[in-house]
Amino acid sequence: MSSHREAPEISKDPVADSTDVYAFVSPDRPSTVTLIANYIPLEEPAGGPNFYEFGDDVLYEIHIDNNGDGRADITYQFRFETVLRDNGTFLYNTGPIRSLASPNWNSRQFYSVTEVTGGRRQRLAAGLACPPCNIGPLSTPGYAGLAASAVHPLPGGGHVFAGQRAEGFYVDLGSIFDLANLRPFQQLHQQYGMHVFSKPAPGVNATNELNVHSIALQVPIKSLTGSASRHESDPRAVIGVWTTASRQHVQIWDANQGKTTCSGPYRQVSRLGNPLVNEVINPLGVKDLWNSLPPSDDKRFASYVAAPELAALLPALYPGVFPHLAALVKSGKPRADLEAILLTGIPAGLIKGFQNHTGPVLADMLRLNTAIKPAKKPDILGVLGGDLAGYPNGRRVFDDVVTIELRAIAGLTYPLVDKTYKPDAAASVVTDGLTPNNVKAPYLGSFPYLGVPYSGFYNPS
Amino acid sequence: MVWDEDNEAADPAGQVSGEREAVSRRSVLRTAAGASAAGLVAGVALGALPAAAAARPVKPARQDEHPAGSGGTAAETADEASNGPVVVHVRDARTGEMDIFAGTSQTRLRDPALAARLVRASR
Repeated sequence: MSSHREAPEISKDPVADSTDVYAFVSPDRPSTVTLIANYIPLEEPAGGPNFYEFGDDVLYEIHIDNNGDGRADITYQFRFETVLRDNGTFLYNTGPIRSLASPNWNSRQFYSVTEVTGGRRQRLAAGLACPPCNIGPLSTPGYAGLAASAVHPLPGGGHVFAGQRAEGFYVDLGSIFDLANLRPFQQLHQQYGMHVFSKPAPGVNATNELNVHSIALQVPIKSLTGSASRHESDPRAVIGVWTTASRQHVQIWDANQGKTTCSGPYRQVSRLGNPLVNEVINPLGVKDLWNSLPPSDDKRFASYVAAPELAALLPALYPGVFPHLAALVKSGKPRADLEAILLTGIPAGLIKGFQNHTGPVLADMLRLNTAIKPAKKPDILGVLGGDLAGYPNGRRVFDDVVTIELRAIAGLTYPLVDKTYKPDAAASVVTDGLTPNNVKAPYLGSFPYLGVPYSGFYNPS
Repeated sequence: MVWDEDNEAADPAGQVSGEREAVSRRSVLRTAAGASAAGLVAGVALGALPAAAAARPVKPARQDEHPAGSGGTAAETADEASNGPVVVHVRDARTGEMDIFAGTSQTRLRDPALAARLVRASR
């Protein structure tokens, strides 16, 4: 998955488990950037009576680096508080919830937003209401409007939303985790001699009809870069974005009160910038350590990007399909293309009209060139598809990051750094076989862009 | 659960944001006793106790909260400390190295005598 349950420790702590990060110039408000951090993987919509919510004991943050050092220059902090109207009932709601102030809504959640810039903390808003989870037609009638009323304005022209959304990330988990047996190419898999598959099959979206919890922020570009009118070639137009979740150092189960209490400073337990880095590039032994560190420390993990395990596996699993990749792996040459895409940004001069380079510091961040305007006709393959407004220039909610990264690892992007290299034909077609059409809930055309969450009554259908 | 902080590099907050007046053994025990009703105490205390555990506490170093590196306000930290548990983690009973967690702060000190008393109290 992008980063769902990607590391041993964090897989046991879903409310602090970041799943996806998005950063893009807002297509309907191009003077702003939208930043989205998703948490709580694989929410089953009917998962009541204690429906999913953010952790009151978790510090959620979205960070922006605007000088290329892999450290946060601007941080937005989000803290949540759950409020029960009536602890004498087991019910989430005692009647239809028609507004955020509905007396029928028992378990509500509120949050604050704090901006940290240069060590200065400014609380931007407090007491903001999350929407309820989408339960069903009787409990949450008119859900789309109800959730829309939970989009709150922020000082300075921004907006914020925190609450349940439809999972927009699509991926065929079943095939990928079954020894990378990509269904569209399963007949070419070596199958360990079992000869199970003789023809291709379409991908299956394992995250369809599941929800996540999103923290979405829309802020003016100039508040992140200092100016709204930089040229796309200007390095100052590029921002690095990642999210973290932190817990207090000590947690104690208080049996007398039947709850956990916490003490001590906050310690980072989850991090996410580029999709799939901690998932499929970092090995098991370092994943939780990586989660605890800032991007500025990523030099320690750069060797895994330079020699990704998956690049060596593809030729072994698909005999004869990736001969050039096999030779590249055998040569031992570092994958400077992947280092650029994931750790430094792509310098000017490699792709016409494009750069999202932040300098020599190796740091896993989503890098967004805020001067590149939203595409009129977006391509889900982003820069690989000739759409400079898509991944790895930031990330939009519909970008096919699985296919993009599969193809990059398969060698399609290596000519960026070695023009003599000829990618395998398969590198330009390999995919898990999914598109946004495999996501049942449509994306929205406006903030917060991720679709209306699936209701527990109608899903699974 | 007490996060293992042996790997200091794993601390994104990272900095020691300040130092505060030395925490006396008596005040720690008093606080611990007061907090025990709320379910307090203290981490792990293993290893042989020193025969002479009467060294002066080292000047404690304190870290405060926020991963963004901003640090909480003093009022915020004090308020959280007054409402929450105080937790003492004796990291090494032999050397007396321990961490005291209160609110969103962490204070590290070395006090073999205090560590020995805590260990005795835990048995």
